[in-house]
Amino acid sequence: MHELTFFRTWLPVIYLYVAGGIIFLAGMTIIVKSKSLKLDRPMHKRWFYVLLFGYFYYLGIHTFLTYAALNF
Amino acid sequence: MEQAIHTTPIFWIIIAGYFVLILGFGSYFAKYNKNTNDFFFSGRRFSWWLITMSIVATGVGSHSFLKYSAKAFEHGFSSTMTYMNDWFFLPFFLFGWLPIVYYTRIRSIPDYFERRFNRNVRILATIAILGYMIGYIAIGFLTMGKTLEPLLGWDLYTIVWVVAIVAGIYITFGGQTAVIFTDLAQGFVLIFAGLLVFILGINYLGGFDIFWNALPADFKLPLAHFNKPSNFNFVGIFWQDGVAGSVGFLFMNQGLIMRFMATKSVNEGRKAAAFNILFLLPISTVVVSNAGWIGKAISIVTPEKWDTAIKLDHVFTQVASLVTTSEVVFAFIIAAVVAALMSTVDTLINAVAAVVINDIYRPIVKDRDDKHYLHAAMVISAGATLLGVVAVTFFDNFPTLYEAHGFFHSTMTPPLVIAIFLGIFWKRYTTLAAVATFLVGAVLMWLGNKYPAGLIGPFDHGIEMDVTHPYTYIRALYNTLVCLVSGVVFSFIFTRKVEVKIEIFTAKVVSNAKAHLHSTDSPVSAFGKVYYTLIWGFANMINSFVLNAASDEKLDGITVWTLDKAREMFKGSKPNDVPGEEPVVHWKIEASSDSYVRFSHMQMKEMAANVGDLVYLSDKRRWLGGLKSVHSVYAEPHDEDGVVYMTPDLIDAGLLVEGRALRAEKEM
Repeated sequence: MHELTFFRTWLPVIYLYVAGGIIFLAGMTIIVKSKSLKLDRPMHKRWFYVLLFGYFYYLGIHTFLTYAALNF
Repeated sequence: MEQAIHTTPIFWIIIAGYFVLILGFGSYFAKYNKNTNDFFFSGRRFSWWLITMSIVATGVGSHSFLKYSAKAFEHGFSSTMTYMNDWFFLPFFLFGWLPIVYYTRIRSIPDYFERRFNRNVRILATIAILGYMIGYIAIGFLTMGKTLEPLLGWDLYTIVWVVAIVAGIYITFGGQTAVIFTDLAQGFVLIFAGLLVFILGINYLGGFDIFWNALPADFKLPLAHFNKPSNFNFVGIFWQDGVAGSVGFLFMNQGLIMRFMATKSVNEGRKAAAFNILFLLPISTVVVSNAGWIGKAISIVTPEKWDTAIKLDHVFTQVASLVTTSEVVFAFIIAAVVAALMSTVDTLINAVAAVVINDIYRPIVKDRDDKHYLHAAMVISAGATLLGVVAVTFFDNFPTLYEAHGFFHSTMTPPLVIAIFLGIFWKRYTTLAAVATFLVGAVLMWLGNKYPAGLIGPFDHGIEMDVTHPYTYIRALYNTLVCLVSGVVFSFIFTRKVEVKIEIFTAKVVSNAKAHLHSTDSPVSAFGKVYYTLIWGFANMINSFVLNAASDEKLDGITVWTLDKAREMFKGSKPNDVPGEEPVVHWKIEASSDSYVRFSHMQMKEMAANVGDLVYLSDKRRWLGGLKSVHSVYAEPHDEDGVVYMTPDLIDAGLLVEGRALRAEKEM
């Protein structure tokens, strides 16, 4: 078992959502710039929000689970 | 090996019964295959919910229960990492790869490479994809062997051979519709079986509080330690699974691609993928890992019940045997896991046969009847099975299935992943750069494998190097980077203009060498013959790689930057995106040798449809998920509201039932 250092607790969460966030942002930028995702279309706009929601949804899950493991 | 878990004949009868039941279920739906389009892609007819459930079995069914239970027992809740890091690539998939695959109607990944580059790049991609799939088959066999090892008490390789023979029999049932429905049933069964183990485990321990409080905080953290230990650390697994694995699964898995192509539209495919990742993957991760968590809690709360000598890959079987009080329930859980594995391996063997027949055999042996190709496919399937069994020896060298799979992903996926990615998202990516991604990338990866400390070491993020299996996971970062750098650098050096010049130059060299070799006026010496033959061969090879290199027109519809063109090509004219309603109508037959549907003027107006637009008609009963449905084209309207006139071929292809109302949707 490891000691509960920053390397064990919060660094993986931060790395995951910064490195993953860069990939995600690159993807969002390319699909918007290439007009594959057209923000002027209502259905595509909904997909834009679903994609953003998914990123923060998983960030929320990992933050909650880390907090719960350390405090409950 | 001795039998660790004792079973009675009832156990084996239930296992056999489950197999018969699931095969019967699949073969019942196989009758809906009307042609090869149905056989491979199910006629592009299904709703998102049906596809998303069948994807569960594709992901969960393959090797997951054993490998994640082992890691969950060792490292706790962080075994969930691999199921919870797929969202980052979803924008690329939903609005990049998925519409390209759907609208261009590509049949395989090598097929994409031929359209984007040329035939030679297709061959390289075919080799890479076959290596990937055969590795997967081997891991499937190894998993099945390890599942059954403690139950049968046989030697692992004897089990693998028996399993391979059974897989050969299993393979005779098939077609994409059958696979979708078999996987749909197994998706539900697997989730049920996994959650059942969790509930029974909590009950066995005496309640959730006992379970939660027995486990230390370190065990309950959702992500692993940043860089320790070398066989399970966060940063290595992020690059191996979160990057190479996620992209490999979403972009390279032929079975998954065929599943998305079976959806009725691109938007349904998007819904299936998003729902799967948002809701089913978090559930699936609990389903496949919980046996390890329960096992750890049992080993702490009631250590006398836990066999400390157990192998890690047998944790799942051990926990399932402990927490299920009846042999019937235990047999059901084991049957569900083994049958799902069999289905995954079967799908892969079929996919190997499809790739070899379509990408290698058919272009060489042309114009034979379907029987001939079917026979060849059976021989290839047997060969793929054999290769899979042989490759088991390699993967069995790793301490656990998880590490074997990790190494496999880190090594096999980067060249294909980078070539697909740059191909889709970067217009400047050229043919020679794609070749370099495979060949130069492979050489640099091989060097990394030979000198891990010097080459992979600089990227290790502080992970200690294990001498036996150096950098199992983080090598994915090095491998991905060298393939990416090869692709980018070669694209800048060998631009499309340079490729055209090389094509002209090498064509001249080939023609000159040929002229010298065949000259009767001034015959060349023996040395000259060797010299010109070498020149001819080399120039010919280079020429074949740059031949028909991608022009701007050739990129139409096959990169994310030209998707509107892909939609236009799919429809055959400019898409009509004006939103319309979805009326319910009754069908009548209109005899014609053409294939079309005719609605009333009023309903055409309701749907905002024009003659020539594409339409999707499905049985009004939504729970059928599109099983009875068909795509067609609007023809000249009539005046009978509430009625659609359809040609007989459509009634037949759509499996439409007389008297049943249809829902009509304008596609584009």
